[in-house]
Amino acid sequence: MMVVRLGIAAVVLVAGILEADTLSAGAGRRYHSVREAIAAAVPGDTIRIEAGTYAGNLVLDKRLTLEGVAKPVIRGDGRGSVIAVLAEGCTIRGLVIEHSGGMLVHEDSGILLHAGGNRIENNELRDVLFGVYFFGASNNILAGNTIRGRAWLDAGERGGGIHIYNATGNTILANVITDTRDGMYLQYANHSVVRGNRAYGVRYGLHYMYSDDNTFEDNSFSHNVAGAAIMYSRRIVLRRNRFVHNRGFSSFGILFQEAENCIAEENVLVGNAVAIFMEAVRGSTFRKNLIAANDNALKMFSSASGNAFEANNFIDNLSPLEVIGRSTDTRWSGLGRGNYWSDYEGYDLNADGIGDVPFKIQNVFQHLEGQYPRIGIYLYSPASQALAAAEKAFPVFEISREFDRQPLMKPVALGLTMPERPRRRGFFPLAASFAMLVTPVWLYRKGRTS
Amino acid sequence: MDWIIIRAIASLEFRIHTRSRWTLLFGLVFAALSLGIAYFGMITAGLVGFQNFTRTSASLLNLVIYLVPLMSLTMGALSFTTEHGAVELLFAQPVERNEILLGKVGGLFASVAVATCFGFGAAGIVISLNSDGGGMAGYAALVALTLLLAFVFLALGTMVAVIARTRTRAFGYALFTWFFFVLFYDLLVMGIAFVLKERAANVLIFLSLFGNPADMMRVSALIALGGTTIFGAAGALLVKFLGGAVAGCVLLIAALTAWGIAPLAVAGHILKKQDI
Repeated sequence: MMVVRLGIAAVVLVAGILEADTLSAGAGRRYHSVREAIAAAVPGDTIRIEAGTYAGNLVLDKRLTLEGVAKPVIRGDGRGSVIAVLAEGCTIRGLVIEHSGGMLVHEDSGILLHAGGNRIENNELRDVLFGVYFFGASNNILAGNTIRGRAWLDAGERGGGIHIYNATGNTILANVITDTRDGMYLQYANHSVVRGNRAYGVRYGLHYMYSDDNTFEDNSFSHNVAGAAIMYSRRIVLRRNRFVHNRGFSSFGILFQEAENCIAEENVLVGNAVAIFMEAVRGSTFRKNLIAANDNALKMFSSASGNAFEANNFIDNLSPLEVIGRSTDTRWSGLGRGNYWSDYEGYDLNADGIGDVPFKIQNVFQHLEGQYPRIGIYLYSPASQALAAAEKAFPVFEISREFDRQPLMKPVALGLTMPERPRRRGFFPLAASFAMLVTPVWLYRKGRTS
Repeated sequence: MDWIIIRAIASLEFRIHTRSRWTLLFGLVFAALSLGIAYFGMITAGLVGFQNFTRTSASLLNLVIYLVPLMSLTMGALSFTTEHGAVELLFAQPVERNEILLGKVGGLFASVAVATCFGFGAAGIVISLNSDGGGMAGYAALVALTLLLAFVFLALGTMVAVIARTRTRAFGYALFTWFFFVLFYDLLVMGIAFVLKERAANVLIFLSLFGNPADMMRVSALIALGGTTIFGAAGALLVKFLGGAVAGCVLLIAALTAWGIAPLAVAGHILKKQDI
């Protein structure tokens, strides 16, 4: 019985392959519009679309491959989605997709997926409200696409670049997203993988809501309101992502709100207003991250509990930690190893690489700033430094209770590829500096000798 | 007032200072420290592979806030209370006292500017060799604001000297002025703000900025370097208080300039009536 069933399956499969045909659409081809070609095709067919501009508002209701030759443009009429996918197993490749509708409530997108197992790759989406919308569509692969939203709209009026709603097991690879509301928005989306994408100039680069067991790796988030926002989600793993220059009054590299059991490893957080913001995060671990040159490395509410920081590098942040509320129960070391803090001034007599003096993470000024944000205006003032110095000299007023008891003497070696240092040197700044150095010398000599 | 006379006195004053060890010493110390900051700020950045321009410039700013007021105040105070009657001799010449005042301040400013620009130039070379020049506008703003700060404290030093009249007293007053503006003022305001209610404390802190040129210079330089976000929530409050980031900066710089002109006016007024 089993054999017979397998045999039938094989025959059907072979028949399918034999039947699979390639249809050409384009000027001078058999089909002048993509819509005609879709209507004529049978499941399993490939439609090759030649260069040119074609009407959009297409509906893929059978298993087809749409393949662009030399980037043909599929242009929607400004209502609804440009391409809606209703069947499983479709592939959309090498197209330029533009001019979707503008209704957020109707999910007007470049590509609207209603079915699973599809492959969307190397397309360019522009002038779209949502880029690619996964509406209950699971197990799709979205790779190598460029999505540019409507920069002229307010952030609140735009849609997400990649919007996944109520779906599992999707894979998002190497896409570039800008000018949308959130770069990638995942709601009720478990077991997704997000890898190697770049989101810039959006609100949140990556935004999880009620989405558990997700992984995101090797992504890059810059110039957003927040690099990644992890909200009401559990067991999120983030590795080797870059969060660079997300700046603004309430901007963050990573924002955690109501999250549990997350693991962050080997991420690079550089030049953000706040590198990591934590509100009501529980049981999460931060390991081997590089947190450097941020205005504020960590900002946490005392509602953040049971979290651990170990073997991270905290380098040249204006302020290492701001706690809102009294103090947290954060563990600042694990397995006898704490973190590297560039401000640490202790010593290591037994040369085991761990400082003998606990590192007090906040000085009195930073502690006060957590409670009275307004005194932040005294940043870099001699008065704030005097306060910190006085605290060191007279440790009687020990206010902050956040200590790293095993601070590392040297930065943790990270297997990271660093952003390349600029090779191009501005000639003008160099010349101006040189002039600024030489002119005073000349004036000085002139003054002396005349 | 005759500009030719003012220029002549300024040039004389500048030449006096190039011959004194003060300017040389200050110039070299400032250059050494700023070079050190720039070097360690920009070179050690290689450790983590990114350039840290804002942090480096902010550290330079810190150096400026300590050193430049000190230098300007002492030079201002001492040049108006010279030993061996040099100033008295100048006042005996057929020139107006205001001309002497402006000329001397001009010459003093030139010497301070020469000394600080030397240091900024040295640091600027190190920085521009290690960055793509992206933050150099901020750096230029820092230099300009430093010169403005030098002018303000020169004016204050002059005023102090005219009030004090003798060299030792002028020196003492100058040191006190330095201590007051650089350190004590902020601590005092912070202390008062802690006992006030939130709203009143905000108003006090932001209004108090205008009472201290060192604060105004620090805040506007940090805005130029890192934007208002560098102050965190306080930055947002400040922008709201001043009515916008640009308007706020203009306001701060205008107030800073006023802080330079007012002491000069006071000094000129006193000097006019003074029996030398």
